[in-house]
Amino acid sequence: MKGLRRSPTSSRDKLRKLADEELMQRVAASDADAFEIVFERHVDAAFALAYRMCGRRSLAEEIAQEAFISLWRSGGRYDRTRGSVRTWALGIVHNRAVDALRRDGAHERRRISDEGIAERLEAPDQTDAQAIEKATSEEIHGALGALPSEQRRVIELAYFGGFTHVEIASMLGAPVGTVKGRMRLGLEKLRDHVHAWEAVGT
Amino acid sequence: MSSRGPDLDCEECVNAAPYVLGALEDHERFREHLAACASCRAEVAELQLAANLLPEAVPPAVASDELRERVLATVRSEAELLQAAGHRADDPPRRAGLQRPRRLPPFAVGVALAAAVAVLVAIALSGGSAARERVTPALIAPPGARASLRLLGGRGELVVSGMPQPPAGKIYELWLNRGAGSPQPTDALFGVTSRGSGSVGVPSNLHGVKEVLVTSEPLGGSSHPTSAPILRVVVPA
Repeated sequence: MKGLRRSPTSSRDKLRKLADEELMQRVAASDADAFEIVFERHVDAAFALAYRMCGRRSLAEEIAQEAFISLWRSGGRYDRTRGSVRTWALGIVHNRAVDALRRDGAHERRRISDEGIAERLEAPDQTDAQAIEKATSEEIHGALGALPSEQRRVIELAYFGGFTHVEIASMLGAPVGTVKGRMRLGLEKLRDHVHAWEAVGT
Repeated sequence: MSSRGPDLDCEECVNAAPYVLGALEDHERFREHLAACASCRAEVAELQLAANLLPEAVPPAVASDELRERVLATVRSEAELLQAAGHRADDPPRRAGLQRPRRLPPFAVGVALAAAVAVLVAIALSGGSAARERVTPALIAPPGARASLRLLGGRGELVVSGMPQPPAGKIYELWLNRGAGSPQPTDALFGVTSRGSGSVGVPSNLHGVKEVLVTSEPLGGSSHPTSAPILRVVVPA
């Protein structure tokens, strides 16, 4: 990123020590340096989510890019009482990926959901922060994997596949009420994990 | 009283789980219900904690340098424009003691950003030429639309799909931003099919062009943009 104007290193180091929520106040005032730090913290997770959902690198990059530019332009709308910056950013990515999936045919979505990721990714160089993130991600992945398969399946089809509850009911040949019930039971178990992690301070 | 059995409180609570997963078909109706129902709000808040974990459960992946550069270049160019606009706004202190607030309200930021997109300063992408065909997706396009710039040598063609029709009495006009001054008008005026697809050749060599923009203009085109660009492609170096 040669040629782009940047603040002196010292002020950037100071920014790096700030929490996302404080940085977002600066982003709301159009501080590009503050944005860059928030962006660097979450861009990999954003790309990974988009990639998991749509299975195509180019589309996933487009989604992550649009999501962060929208985050930059709407920084003033971030409301810390409604969740972390990361959750907000990943929520934007999720919405955009769902829109993209719903534009595609249902068949294509089915294939991606069933096979998981189509292209193989190179192993990332892991910094400590990424390793920690990965451990958490593995824990969460484990909790999801520990759900009864019929609960996990409806949650994955809904959240990662972008299918509606009615579409899922018809795919699985199950009543709509059953699908909603499985979603609720699965989410309640995941939520219990969250409360347990909070209790031990992780 | 426990709220563990949501169905005990309100029969709508069964919709909380598909709602937080983004999978509820009647999303808006339930959202309206939420405003009026405390037990459904409590259920949504609890299940949202679980839904917030899901994006963390995906296999790790690393965003490319190109993605990083594209986002940061856009953000930095817009920040510089906003700063320039902000300084000008602050410039004439008409009366001591009556300072204008330094921070722009969100609406003004939006307007300034729209202006930023319209004016577009140079983005620090160094020059270079393309000898093979390259396809560059649009950085900004209307929701649901796809657009890309096909480049071969110095020639370009803009290909769009899923584009809305231009407003009544308007036509799309293509502009070139060379990095200095206002975007230059072109005689490339176009509409799209009922399905929103279309293509238009860029009527000039793209060497030195930073960005290709599209605005809605009165039939016959304009020499200065009269609306904010709805589509923007950064020409690769």
